[in-house]
Amino acid sequence: MKTAARSQLFQKFSQLNWTIILLIFFISAIGWGLLISAGKGDPHVWALKQMVRFGMGMVILFGIALTDLRWWLRFAYIFYGVSLALLCGVEFMGFIGMGAQRWIDLYLIQLQPSELMKVALILALARYFHSQSQPLSLYKLSAPLLLILIPTVLVLRQPDLGTAMILLMSGGALFFLAGVSLWIFGIALAAGGASIPILWNFLHAYQKKRIFMFLDPSQDSLGAGYHITQSKIALGSGGLLGKGYLQGTQAYLNFVPLKQTDFIFALLCEEWGLLGGTTLILLYTLLITLCSHIALTTQNDFGRYVASGITVTFFLYMFINIAMVMGLLPVVGVPLPLVSYGGTALLTLLMGFGFLLNVGRQQTLKVPRLSIGIL
Amino acid sequence: MSRAETSKFFSRALFLGGFQICLVLLLFSRMVYLQIIEGSYYRVLADGNRIVTRPLVPLRGRVYDKNGILLVENETNFKLLLLADKKKDIEVALASLEAVISLSPEAKEEILKKAQKRQGVESLVIKDNLTWDEVSAIELHAMDLPGMTIEIGSKRRYPFAAEGAHLLGYVSSPSEKEEEEDPSLGIPGLKIGKSGFEKYLNQRLKGTPGYSALEVNARRKIVRELNQIESIPGEDICLTIDERLQRYAYEVLSEHESAAAVVLDIQTGNILALVSFPSFDPNLFTLGINRNDWKDLQNNPYVPLTNKAISGLYPPGSTVKIFVALAALEAGIIDKTTSVQCPGYYYVGDHPFHCYKKEGHGTVNVLRAISESCDVFFYEIAKRVGIDRLSTYYKNLGLGEGGIEGFPHSRKGLVPTKVWKREKKKEKWTLSDTILTGIGQGYISATPMELAIAIARIAGGGKKVVPQLEKGTAHPFPDLGFNPDHLDLVKEAMAHTANSPSGTAYPGRILVEGKEMGGKTGTSQVRRITLSQRRAGQTKTTNLPWEYREHGLFIGYAPLENPRYAIAVIIEHAGGARSAVIAARDILLKAQALEEEPPL
Repeated sequence: MKTAARSQLFQKFSQLNWTIILLIFFISAIGWGLLISAGKGDPHVWALKQMVRFGMGMVILFGIALTDLRWWLRFAYIFYGVSLALLCGVEFMGFIGMGAQRWIDLYLIQLQPSELMKVALILALARYFHSQSQPLSLYKLSAPLLLILIPTVLVLRQPDLGTAMILLMSGGALFFLAGVSLWIFGIALAAGGASIPILWNFLHAYQKKRIFMFLDPSQDSLGAGYHITQSKIALGSGGLLGKGYLQGTQAYLNFVPLKQTDFIFALLCEEWGLLGGTTLILLYTLLITLCSHIALTTQNDFGRYVASGITVTFFLYMFINIAMVMGLLPVVGVPLPLVSYGGTALLTLLMGFGFLLNVGRQQTLKVPRLSIGIL
Repeated sequence: MSRAETSKFFSRALFLGGFQICLVLLLFSRMVYLQIIEGSYYRVLADGNRIVTRPLVPLRGRVYDKNGILLVENETNFKLLLLADKKKDIEVALASLEAVISLSPEAKEEILKKAQKRQGVESLVIKDNLTWDEVSAIELHAMDLPGMTIEIGSKRRYPFAAEGAHLLGYVSSPSEKEEEEDPSLGIPGLKIGKSGFEKYLNQRLKGTPGYSALEVNARRKIVRELNQIESIPGEDICLTIDERLQRYAYEVLSEHESAAAVVLDIQTGNILALVSFPSFDPNLFTLGINRNDWKDLQNNPYVPLTNKAISGLYPPGSTVKIFVALAALEAGIIDKTTSVQCPGYYYVGDHPFHCYKKEGHGTVNVLRAISESCDVFFYEIAKRVGIDRLSTYYKNLGLGEGGIEGFPHSRKGLVPTKVWKREKKKEKWTLSDTILTGIGQGYISATPMELAIAIARIAGGGKKVVPQLEKGTAHPFPDLGFNPDHLDLVKEAMAHTANSPSGTAYPGRILVEGKEMGGKTGTSQVRRITLSQRRAGQTKTTNLPWEYREHGLFIGYAPLENPRYAIAVIIEHAGGARSAVIAARDILLKAQALEEEPPL
């Protein structure tokens, strides 16, 4: 019995997509190298801590990857409910930290309910669409729409523009994949456009400022436009091959703020040039391709939606961050996935990949439809 | 999922994937744009961010006298600086500094003003010219004064203070206007010549600034030095001045209220001494002169800031008689024997011009007219020569030509002509004007330097002597074309002036054999003696208030055989020429004595 369980576990491990795990490790390792550079060559500043977090995250990844997919289908709404409750807790009870109400401190990793929500939303939507048959009427879509909008509004109030964007867009992507008619998207876009003036009033002064700065960064290159101006200088001055490892003057002399977190891509491009930037983007693309492959080849709907949702979320992280660093999008506070310093995003991502690997391991599993109820 | 649903999922997934690929390509092309196409632009910006070039002030050249005695040197200067990143804590820093050294309220105010104005990486100068006591006090309390450092630099020192102040000038920080005109002067700590020799040869003395390229971080704190180009010190320059003679001449003149003297080497044109009294201490200016001292200097009635030797314009008085005599001889109007009757007055129309000797000189020839300074003789001669020829000879001898070309505040005297009077005074030239010009009164004026040049040209045998201030620049002077016999006659007359009992300079003659001098006295009226005063028996001005008395002048040379030294002395408001003669005698004797005295 004991040996049977062990061989079963071994079998489960062998079923995992190790290429993806290797790529995750590879990209994270690039991150550690950059964090050493950001710490002026001292790994104690950031890199070592981030490695420990990676280790913890990997435990969670494997933990999730080895479970039964059907179990997650069953608990998807519960998971969503708990995440929402925590999010409300942060919102209304106020775990205050860092100026924005985002954190619940779990020693080395601060748990951010909004991060948890990114995964929970995907699972909840996946379960909903898994259980519905086509065509999806507007009435049928009102429930999943609320699933997206409630956490989005809560997160916006925190205020966390980046997470709100990811929730909205990954949810939207699942709607799209689920086959929602294009005219409904048309209406949603129109409604969204109409609500911009209203939403504008909800934005904090600094968010408005960031958007203004995005529109014209040269306007105030020492004030709010400083981040993006300096980031572009760092990136641009890297040239083809970069200034060399540990030689990035912009980052080393602190001209680029948040060089270890949101702007780490600027550090990469300054020290490794176009070559380094392209290499990382190619690795990301490869990882996304492998993830997409899982999403496309999975035969159960739940797994398919989960894999797609995770892949899209990962892509959004990457795109928003890099576009932001290059001055293509406003500064919204989205980290570079697996590379930026910080525990919460890493935890979310590795959790997400855990689900993705879980799906990949059980692609041919028959997953029955569940009733509309919570369980 | 039905088959139709599955195919819809696939097509939408494919669309989404395609969209994602487009976005990745967008990122890639943006990266190529920023790093390759705009790369060099951003590299410049990145360097501009981190590199600050700081100019290094060059050491100014030193100045020596002809014997290698240091006249201007550089001295170690200690400057207290507050580092740029501590500027925001300036009030606290000043408070802790005041516990260590004293700061005047004005100085504090100045510092606070500068701290607000100047941004960037440059340190703030808290106090310049620290004394040794202050330096050691600051070093001792260094722990209580964070962000403060003592910078060791150099400052100008003039060991030869008041005696050389006019000649050497002084340096100080460029004014805002000067900085605007020449942006290269905008170097913190750079001093430029403001007057005298310091200004005259500023270009050569100042040196070339170096540069230090510093890497700074985002908070503008200096991280390290990347590169340094050393500054090149300015040129050391030797003057023609003999420090000992300059000092001595100053001492001689300091017996009077206000005076000036120039001594030239006749053969080379070298300026051996150039003195103006009273003077000031140029060291005051390097330390930054305080308001009271400056006001005192400006309000002093004896104008200590003016270099009277080259910018004081005086009526040359009777000293011009030797020039008039030379002009008349050269023009063939008189010879050695030509004589004029002097009854003590001379009529132009019905207007009488008086001789200083009321009872008249009787029959005088040129020799006596010069040595006894007969006015009537020269009224007549001037009339015969005419103003046109007279002014030409004056100019040939250097009057109205200025002294050292380009020297700060060097002025040119006035040699009046008919054209000049018509243009400036809108009046016709009259015979009276000619007659007055012939005795050095009226419109004519000259600086002591110009008079020294004129006497050097005559005593040197008619060579066009040009004054030299820098050692080793002399070259042979061209001949002015005077008849040597005429020159000898005029010199003979000058020898009589100072050596025969009837000569006007006889009381101040040199008694040392072989070192005797020749020359000509002069007094120049500041105010005309009115007719009523003259009737009341007043022909001298000695009993008038100081500022109304006549200036006393003497121009001369020594020795009589092979003249070597030419001199011009003016004693302002001396009431007569006697004190000028005595001063010239002492200085000429000293100049000759120094030939035998080896320099230290």
